[in-house]
Amino acid sequence: MSAVAESVPARGETVSVEEQYDDAVQQREAATLGMWVFLATEILFFGVLFASYTICRVLYPLGFAEASRHTDMLLGTAETAVLLISSSLIALAVRAIKLDERRPAVILMCATALLGASFLVMHGFEYHDEYQEHLIPGIDFQQTGPHVRAVELFFCLYYFITGFHSVHVFIGVCVIGTLAVRVARGTFGPQRYTTLELAALYWHLVDIVWIFVYPVIYLVGRSG
Amino acid sequence: MSEDSKAPHTTSVARLLWILLALLALLALSAGSALVKLGVWNNVINLGVSVSKTVLVMAVFMHETEARNLTRLASVLGFVWLTMLIGLSLFDFVTRSHVPAPW
Repeated sequence: MSAVAESVPARGETVSVEEQYDDAVQQREAATLGMWVFLATEILFFGVLFASYTICRVLYPLGFAEASRHTDMLLGTAETAVLLISSSLIALAVRAIKLDERRPAVILMCATALLGASFLVMHGFEYHDEYQEHLIPGIDFQQTGPHVRAVELFFCLYYFITGFHSVHVFIGVCVIGTLAVRVARGTFGPQRYTTLELAALYWHLVDIVWIFVYPVIYLVGRSG
Repeated sequence: MSEDSKAPHTTSVARLLWILLALLALLALSAGSALVKLGVWNNVINLGVSVSKTVLVMAVFMHETEARNLTRLASVLGFVWLTMLIGLSLFDFVTRSHVPAPW
């Protein structure tokens, strides 16, 4: 894609087609397919952690329910809402650039990046609270009770899952922020938006991962 | 290059906003239902809501409804492998019986 990016003129009015493609549509479809293959590897990356979580939860249901009650459900719900809203904003931004509405696209992309950054800040507050409550295995874990080992296991998985997810959010914020600058400079337009669309796909996947993280981390054992 | 000059397909703003509303409503449903004691149904509702949200995001935000079949296949494959990974691993752990050493 970078070769394509270098060879096009400013304002994103035309797109150069590499010689292996028949036309721009085929080139775009190949890029989208490649992105989905990458996203499938991402799904399996997080999938290993979800598989570990599922097995541990089946083995220690009471311990995981107790551990989940230590997490901040209100903050977790707010984080989920923030990511869902950011996903819709980036979808609106892609739409705007397809319609050659550059200014709304830049605003929507900046808002998406800001929401992503606010997600990270909220998560920082969560980690801080958990540090105060001595809930960090290997560093400061001081809990008691019959399910203490299961609680420790839950928080190990919690930090791995949410930590890796936050790294993905951070990458997404950087990518979308950078692309917003390029949109403002007129690099993209109605005929040239594939890079933006692929970045949006990545952001939606980060959202989907969190859609599954939210119930398994924050909602277990709340009714008991 | 003839298709290059065509206007690209776009989803309407109203549709995108309706999907966002549906996603937020599903979030409220999962958060609300988690506070009510429903036994195994808490898990069923949580999983069902997560799958529904994923379908909405993939279908509309990720343009799966307009994608080619090959792209759709690639997008579903990751989830298929994941289901196999979790399913087979779980099957092993759930059915494994404790066999003490004979000595």
